[in-house]
Amino acid sequence: MIEVEHLSKIYGSTPAIQDVTFSVEKGEILGFLGPNGAGKTTTMRILTGYLPASSGTARIAGFDVHENSMAVRRQIGYLPETPPLYTDMTVEGFLHFVARIKGVAAGDRIAQVENALKRCNLLEKRSVLIRKLSKGFRQRVGIAQAIVHDPPAIILDEPTVGLDPRQIIDVRNLIKSLAGEHTIILSTHILPEVSMTCSRVAIINRGRVVATNTPEQLMAELAGGDGYELEVAGNPAQLDWQIQQMPSLLPGVKSVEQIADESLPAEHFRLRVALEANLPDPGGEIAAAVVQAGLGLFEMRRTRVTLEDVFLELTTEEKVIDPEEMAQADERAKADTKAAPAEAVAVAEPVDLDNPEDPANAEPGDA
Amino acid sequence: MRVIFANLIAIYRRELQSYFASPFAYVIAGVFWLLSGFFFFAILLGPEGLIAQSALRDQMGVTGQPTDVPYQFLSFFLGTLSSLAMFILPMISMGLYAEERKRGTLELLATSPLTNWVVALGKWLGAITFFITLLLPLLLYQAIAVSASDPPASLTVMLLGHLGLVLLAGAILSLGMFVSSLTDSTILAAILTFGLVLVLWVIELVANSLVGPVGDGLKHLSLIKNYNTLTQGIFDSSSILVFVSYILLGLFLTAQSIEAFRFQRS
Repeated sequence: MIEVEHLSKIYGSTPAIQDVTFSVEKGEILGFLGPNGAGKTTTMRILTGYLPASSGTARIAGFDVHENSMAVRRQIGYLPETPPLYTDMTVEGFLHFVARIKGVAAGDRIAQVENALKRCNLLEKRSVLIRKLSKGFRQRVGIAQAIVHDPPAIILDEPTVGLDPRQIIDVRNLIKSLAGEHTIILSTHILPEVSMTCSRVAIINRGRVVATNTPEQLMAELAGGDGYELEVAGNPAQLDWQIQQMPSLLPGVKSVEQIADESLPAEHFRLRVALEANLPDPGGEIAAAVVQAGLGLFEMRRTRVTLEDVFLELTTEEKVIDPEEMAQADERAKADTKAAPAEAVAVAEPVDLDNPEDPANAEPGDA
Repeated sequence: MRVIFANLIAIYRRELQSYFASPFAYVIAGVFWLLSGFFFFAILLGPEGLIAQSALRDQMGVTGQPTDVPYQFLSFFLGTLSSLAMFILPMISMGLYAEERKRGTLELLATSPLTNWVVALGKWLGAITFFITLLLPLLLYQAIAVSASDPPASLTVMLLGHLGLVLLAGAILSLGMFVSSLTDSTILAAILTFGLVLVLWVIELVANSLVGPVGDGLKHLSLIKNYNTLTQGIFDSSSILVFVSYILLGLFLTAQSIEAFRFQRS
C-alpha cells in the first residue's frame, strides 16, 4: 500500500532524512517512532506530497507521491503536526468543507461527516465554533478531518499530543478500529502508544530508519528478550563459577552477567540472567541452581524488556541493526561466555571502571 | 471539470464565510460606509458641495457652460471611493494566504486534491465578493441621487464607473493576494500591498516625466489613469484589459508562489 524507497531530504546542506526505506501493507498500522527532530514529520510531509524529496521514491497505492500528486492526495487523509483548522468555522461546517475539497460526492457528504463526528466523539460539539474548543477537542477535529473522506491511507503526525489520558485511550481505540480497511502511519514519541496500537514499528533516528519490525520482535531481538534479576550472597569464587556454568546447564538461559550495585551489602551481588526466546521459562531451575550452589537467594524478579529499552538502545548508540551483524554478535557471545559478562558490564556502566573495589571489575580469569 | 468547479465553490464559500464571521471585516465595512457616506454628503449636499455651488452660480447669474451635476458628482465620488479602496483593499487581501500559512491550514489545502489555481481563484472571488457587498448600499443611494436629477442622468455611466471600481479592486486584491502568499505575517502583507498599490497609483507621475516608449508604456500601467477613463463613462476596452491583466497576473503569481513555497520550505 505504502512503499518508501531510499528517500532522502536535504535542507540546504543539512540532511533531514537519509535513505529511508520501509513499506506498509494494506490494513497495517505502522508506528513511526523517533526522538524529536529525527525526521518523522519530514517523512510524512513527503508522503503527503507537501514537500518534495531530494532523492528516492515514495508510492501510495501505486502512485508516486511527487509525479502523481493529485491521485495520491485522493488516497490519503493527513493530520499534520498542528491540526489544520479554520477556527472561525463550526466543527460540522469545517468537516463539510473538508469533505467537499477532498472530493466526497454531494450525496454521501452528510453521512460521511456524521460518521466522522461519531467516530471521533464530536457529536455534542458539532455546532460549536472550533475557536472555542479545547486542545483535546481540536485534536479530535483534526483526526476527524483526516478520516472524513474515508481514505485508504491515513497519515497521522502525533495524533495523541495534547490529549488527556482518557482521550488518549479513545484515540488509540479509534485508530485501532480504523485498521483493516485503512492503512495507517502514525508518528509518536510516546513509546507505550506504539506497542498498544501499532502492528509494526519503524524507529527513526537522525534521519535514518534504524529498525523496522513488530514491537514484539524488536523487543525480543534487540534487548535480548526477557530475563531475571537476582540478588545473591556468597563468596565471589563460588559466584563466578555459577556465572560460568549456568548457561550451559540450563537450556533456557542465554547468559548471566554480574551487574554492579553499590547499594548492596558486602558479599551480596546482583546478577542479570537473560533468557533464550522461544524456550520454556527456566525460572524455577535458576532458583534451584543458585540455592544448590550454596548461594543465598535474597531477591529474584522477572524483568521485561520494554520498547523503551529498545528505543533508547537504538537512538542513543546510533546502532544500525544489521541482521548479519546481530547473528555474529550472538555467536560471539555464546562462544565466549566467560568474557562476555565483564565486557557487557563495562559497556553498560563505564563509570564503574574507575572503581577497583567493584566486583564487576574483577578479571574473569581471576576466579 | 465538475470537480474543479465544486472545489472552487467550496473555497469561495469558505472564504466568504470567514469574512462574514470575522469582526475585523465588520470594522472595515463600518469604516468604509461611514467615510463613503460622509464624502457622498460632502460632495453632493455639503456647503461646498456641487449642488450648493451650482445654485450659487445660478444666483450670481454666471452664464456660459452649465455644469453637469450628476456626472461631475459621479466622477468626484468614484474618485474618492477609489482612494478609500486603496486603503481598505490591502486589509481585505492581507489574510488570504498569510493567515492560512500562520494557522497551518495551507498544509490541508496543499495535501487535498486541489490545484493552486482553484484555491487562488476561489479566494480571490471571495474577496471581490466581499468588496462588492461593501459597494451595494452606496450603489443604492447613488442611484437615488442620480435618477433624481433633472433631466435624469443615465444609469449606465454610473454602472460603468462602478464596474471600473470593481475591476480596480480586483486588480489590487489579486496583487495583494500574491503579496499575502509570500509571508505569514498579515501586517507585513498589508503594508507591502499598500506600498505596491501606491507605486502603481503614482506610476503616471513618473511616466509623465519620461519621454519615449518607456513613458508611454508606464502610462498604460497606471491604475488611476485607466480607472479615470472608466469613471468618465468611456467604455474603453484597453483599460478593462489592463485591469483584467493585473487580475490574471496576480492569480498566476499566487499559484506559482504557492507551488514554489513547497520547494523552498525548510
